[in-house]
Amino acid sequence: MGKTMVMKIMERAAHKEVHAGERVWCDIDRSTARDFGGANCALQFDEITENRGRVWNPDKIAFTFDLQAPSHSEKVANNQKIIREFAKRQGITRVYDINHGIGQHVMLEDGIVKPGDVILGTDSHMNLLGAVAAFATGVGNTDIAASWLNGTNWFRVPETMKIEINGEFPRGVSMRDLLTKIVGDLGAGGLDFLAAEFCGDAIERSTLAERITLCSMVTEMSGKIGLILPNGPVLEWLADRAGGEVRERVAAIKPDDDAPYISVLKYDVSKLEPMASCPDAPDNVKPVREIAGVKIDQVHIGSCTNGRYEDIAAAYDVLERGGFRTAPGVRVIITPATTEVMKRCAREGMIEKFLDAGIVFTNPTCSLCTAEHYGALPGGDVGCSTTNRNFIGKVGKGSHTYLLSPMTAMATAVRGVITDPREIVCK
Amino acid sequence: MKIKGRVWKYGDDVNTDVIFAGKYTYTVKERSEMAKHALEDLDPDFAKNAAPGDIIVAGKNWGCGSSREQAAICLKKRGVGAIIARGFARIHYRNCLNEGLPIIVSSEIQALVEKGDEIEIDFGTGEITAGGKKIKFPPYPEFVLGLVNDGGLIPHVKKSLNRGAPPRKGTGPLDHLRRLR
Repeated sequence: MGKTMVMKIMERAAHKEVHAGERVWCDIDRSTARDFGGANCALQFDEITENRGRVWNPDKIAFTFDLQAPSHSEKVANNQKIIREFAKRQGITRVYDINHGIGQHVMLEDGIVKPGDVILGTDSHMNLLGAVAAFATGVGNTDIAASWLNGTNWFRVPETMKIEINGEFPRGVSMRDLLTKIVGDLGAGGLDFLAAEFCGDAIERSTLAERITLCSMVTEMSGKIGLILPNGPVLEWLADRAGGEVRERVAAIKPDDDAPYISVLKYDVSKLEPMASCPDAPDNVKPVREIAGVKIDQVHIGSCTNGRYEDIAAAYDVLERGGFRTAPGVRVIITPATTEVMKRCAREGMIEKFLDAGIVFTNPTCSLCTAEHYGALPGGDVGCSTTNRNFIGKVGKGSHTYLLSPMTAMATAVRGVITDPREIVCK
Repeated sequence: MKIKGRVWKYGDDVNTDVIFAGKYTYTVKERSEMAKHALEDLDPDFAKNAAPGDIIVAGKNWGCGSSREQAAICLKKRGVGAIIARGFARIHYRNCLNEGLPIIVSSEIQALVEKGDEIEIDFGTGEITAGGKKIKFPPYPEFVLGLVNDGGLIPHVKKSLNRGAPPRKGTGPLDHLRRLR
């Protein structure tokens, strides 16, 4: 019997043969923490080592300031300070401070994520790094602190579901819509404890941004990791950033033809339409046309799921076709994932057009992933967002959120009510 | 290992936001303080009236949503003896074991018990006794039993370091840790 991609990754890290369902100790390639959670990891490490402990390898640890950057309160500021001081004391040089952006994206751009890596982080969407075939997983502070002791942690070797995606997206329809469809089909527990391998011609042609979108929402189906084997321009981009070694890594973790899959799902995106996650759960899914006309108070485009250049450019295209105007009374916020993304938006003149259209264009950050950040919604307001969760009260008590693609979100900003973007882009 | 306690019964897809509300993640740091807010948004009665050793019986996907570890800590510190659910969300599952909080996957118990019923779990034999009936569950693998018996991941890792486990590839000096209890 052959091996799946996740089995090959874990065998490299565990230095032994692994079987689905067993628990193994793996060497950790990166153990990271963000501003939210990072301070607790540092404090916990100091506590358990009685302030005398040295981390196992400072070069393999990174801190990312993204959830609440720049700090919006004294308590956040103090937490960030705890991290900076801990890093300095431990000789950890990879501190991506408040001027960088969303951690996973920043680490990808900085070339410290390779296919086959085992990566821990305090963000439940760490697993979006499966977009370049890294096994990355969100864990608690205790897991992080324990991994800093000796560079290892335990994992259950997951079974794998294969999801084959073929066809060309119609105009106005994107990877986010496919993903929303899959979340609706499989449900909040649909990938419980499972790895997913995404393949098919639509995946082979997809951009890194699209792969990130797809892999980031595996969490919303309770999945462990979604993996895509880098190929084509994505592999070139990665080799350019992370070094030529990534090609050998890709060859080493390619799943076998006779690998065991618990099931195989197939999707044809050529018949797909814009989809939405309705209040108050990501798996409460309907086609956008069924909820068209719902009045919206605030639109947010960004997040680790849809905050890359391609996502913002898709929204820009809709804004341009909509006459560069947003509807009166609708608040619109765009948040790029990283400084690199923001610079490209600036270079291409997009930011000025957004600002002229009455849109707030923020610094790179996770922003509206929680009510703890700017843009929080007041009770009774209805928002739409390209983030990945819309649990009740997530971005403000008594508010409700629709999760949409960047194109649908901008079409909604233009009209002020939920709008199928095909009405604007297919004219 | 045996645990006896009263049942607190909940449904499917209970997410970590209602187990430990996001608004407390910055303000409540003390682990024992966290216990006071356990399940506050789902069942305010729980934090007030739960007794040490009480057992949570839930539906599928218990602990979905945010990875916040406080969701496991607040339950452990509130004295929860074990959680039995049809299924657990992955991150919360490992957070519970890392806190030394035993969890059991079972689909049979939900129909047999109501809130307040007393049940007993025998981890050695893999049996739950509820209202005179016995339900089997797969006994804990040695690995998981080790984590739970040692009181969680940190004590478990420290214990292995204290035993003189060889440093793994790429690890730094561990002597300073071996001296620690």
